[in-house]
Amino acid sequence: MLAKVRGRAAYAVIVLLLLLVMLAPFEWFLARYTTLMIFIGLNTMLTVGLCLLMGYTGQVSLGHAAFFGIGAYFSAILSKTYDVNPWLAMGIGAAATGAFAYVISYPIFRLRGNYLAMATLGLGLIIYILFRELGDYTGGPDGMYGIPYLSAGGFVFDTPFKRYFLVWGLCLAMLLISQNIVRSRSGRALRAIHGSEAAAESVGINSAQFKMKIFVLSAVYASLAGSLFVHHLRFVGPQPFGFLASVMVVVMAVVGGLASVWGAIFGAAAIRILSDKVLLEFGELDLIVYGLILMVVMIFLPQGLFVGLKEGYARLRLRYVRREAEP
Amino acid sequence: MAGVTSGSIYALVGLGFTVIYSVTGIINFAQGEFVMLGGMISYIILDSTGLPTVPALLLTIAVVATVGAVLYLMAIRSARKASVVSLIIITIGASVFIRGVAGEIWTRDYVRPPYFSGDESLSFLGAYIQPQALWIIGTTVAAMIVLQVFLTYTVMGKALRACAINRAAAGLVGIDARVMALISFSLAAAFGALGGVVVAPLTTTSYSVGVMMGLKGFVAAAIGGFRSPFAAFVGGITIGIVESLAVAIDWGPFSSAYKDAIALVVLLLILLVRSGRLAAEERVG
Amino acid sequence: MTSILETKGLCRAFGGIVALNNVDLAVEAGRITAVIGPNGAGKTTLFNLVAGVYPVDRGEIVFRGTALNNVATHKRTAMGIARTFQNVLLFGNMTALENVMTGQHVRSRYGFFEAAFRLPKSRREEETISLKAMRYLNLVGLGMHAQRNALDLPLGQQKLLTIARALATEPQLLMLDEPGAGLNTLEKRDLSDLVRRIRDMGISVLLVEHDMDLVMGLAEWVVVLDSGQKIAEGTAGEIQRNQRVIAAYLGEEEE
Repeated sequence: MLAKVRGRAAYAVIVLLLLLVMLAPFEWFLARYTTLMIFIGLNTMLTVGLCLLMGYTGQVSLGHAAFFGIGAYFSAILSKTYDVNPWLAMGIGAAATGAFAYVISYPIFRLRGNYLAMATLGLGLIIYILFRELGDYTGGPDGMYGIPYLSAGGFVFDTPFKRYFLVWGLCLAMLLISQNIVRSRSGRALRAIHGSEAAAESVGINSAQFKMKIFVLSAVYASLAGSLFVHHLRFVGPQPFGFLASVMVVVMAVVGGLASVWGAIFGAAAIRILSDKVLLEFGELDLIVYGLILMVVMIFLPQGLFVGLKEGYARLRLRYVRREAEP
Repeated sequence: MAGVTSGSIYALVGLGFTVIYSVTGIINFAQGEFVMLGGMISYIILDSTGLPTVPALLLTIAVVATVGAVLYLMAIRSARKASVVSLIIITIGASVFIRGVAGEIWTRDYVRPPYFSGDESLSFLGAYIQPQALWIIGTTVAAMIVLQVFLTYTVMGKALRACAINRAAAGLVGIDARVMALISFSLAAAFGALGGVVVAPLTTTSYSVGVMMGLKGFVAAAIGGFRSPFAAFVGGITIGIVESLAVAIDWGPFSSAYKDAIALVVLLLILLVRSGRLAAEERVG
Repeated sequence: MTSILETKGLCRAFGGIVALNNVDLAVEAGRITAVIGPNGAGKTTLFNLVAGVYPVDRGEIVFRGTALNNVATHKRTAMGIARTFQNVLLFGNMTALENVMTGQHVRSRYGFFEAAFRLPKSRREEETISLKAMRYLNLVGLGMHAQRNALDLPLGQQKLLTIARALATEPQLLMLDEPGAGLNTLEKRDLSDLVRRIRDMGISVLLVEHDMDLVMGLAEWVVVLDSGQKIAEGTAGEIQRNQRVIAAYLGEEEE
């Protein structure tokens, strides 16, 4: 009972925070930070997918940026080269990415642990190379310009301000869906697979199937983010989809606290702000800083930064409450 | 021949994976960075100091072996009870960190240290071969033999093997597993660096070559089942040859531009087949 | 006399080592059956074959008239076989209650889609799942620890929790792998009571156990394995008097 009430309170706080985030652009904030907020939203979509896969299910992916890229290139190529309606292109991209993830999940989830991590790393590299080398379609290393804006009826998403709402609307939908899944029968199955695959099978969980489903879902999230990404920038090149981009997503997930849906916003925001607003001032220290973050967080707070801090706070509060209760 | 040459390097990287894995049970995702460091540091030393080749190379290997030791002491030892996922993330973090440092303090350009003994091709049984390729193959074979002798005939080598067979039992007879882990990390770093040192004059090197090297070395070690240096050596040569054959075939529309991609696909296929078998063995054992 | 589980000529070797050789076993419905034997007798192998952890080399496993040989592990659970593990294997990332709720997985249906949009079906089923899970938790006496992390419980309670988790799959056959290992005398007595209550619920029990006192006091039928072969079976009393069993346990001293 208590847990339920507390759950509702947490829910209310989250909704309130999100409303603040949504309303934020109306302030002075608007002019300066809308673009940053859009990137945070897109990164959150990627990160929450990886959190579901890695944090909850315990399956490492070091090639997640590849799915982001597949969505991006599908949208770019279909809407620019073939004049397909951008929304339809986005849908086709998501479906294709999902189908691709589905097909490769069969061989790839025969692997576990270190092998799986290496295989996803290799897969990410392969796809990145294809983006670069299939120049006739993708524009090669130079990329493609002049990708159309998204529009609905007569309404064109031609300003960052409009796209801000589009991105965060979809992002919130993804977060809510993820949250609902995590708290469901399927979510328990995913966490059970993380806990012990043998035990999960023993209670009748088809671990191969659940891994496949969550892999496909996270790939589709990434693909949708990729589509929005190119319709925002109106440009696509291979650079944001390589190995380091995949590592970035891992960094965000680690900072967000791997097994935490809402932590994904925290992780994406923290790293995005760090890289766009702080690290740019200091030249190119980004790799050093990300490497350090990964090592330090995983050594001292293996459950991830956001969750680790949350648990630390809960412990402190408990101690405080106990002291209050004593006469 | 090109396959054997590149295969030798993969074998050296694979040796590193094998040594660390068999002693500690950890896969070090930063293994490829040792190769990068070997190439880069040897270039820096040769380029900026007047040191002759041999001392410069030995110095390089010593420096990288120290990096391996520091990596263990700073990152791995503090996280000993960590899960596989945590260790993957920690060593990936180390990999990115090392790469970042190299790109920051040296250069992000491709560099090429000088050849060990000129670049005039030698004629060998009617085929021409770069002397550096002979250096690479020779060094790898020598390293293999030295490691095998070290493991078989020295006290420290025997202690390492004892840890690999049964860590708990090794502890009971007074072998400190942490010291052995430290040695395994420096040893792996030294072998990686050796690979980097000998290959860089032939292929050039840059701060970003570590990932690909790590991946290929991992597959080499996986073919060998992470069991013995010799197995990793065979694995490395196998990949080198398969890779050069796969790339040599005319793939029609998938022309030579996709060489890297084709090589990677082949690697993944090997990994899938091989690890399926390894998993089956593990479950039974 | 109907048997719920039968094995016929079951064989399994690992590398060159024969772990099980031609074992015929019948677990009678509604009874507590124990498998005993010295170390390396093949007890755990038998368990793992029935649970489907690895395939059989030769022979047949029949559960309620259906051959199990080619049925995947998770489907065997749906058919009514549940198990615990020697090394506990609780889900450390969940509360005690959630651990038991995972047991209800095969008895509920709603999937990703219903969950994602919190459709009525998901809420309805979720309510049933948690009610039933709470009931099984109470059955093993852990009701008050529902919200604690599973791994914060002492070993004795962890073992009870794995039994609750297995029961939550609503099995017809419950397989317990060394349920008494690591428990003190008092806990063992409680365990025996619990197993009898489970039997009284109409669930057949098959257990592997080292502790002879526990087995002899609890099992209604005892099967003895030695070096991969069945050497005897009978009631506890018969087994205690069986010369071959005594010889197998005392080993070489017979010679």
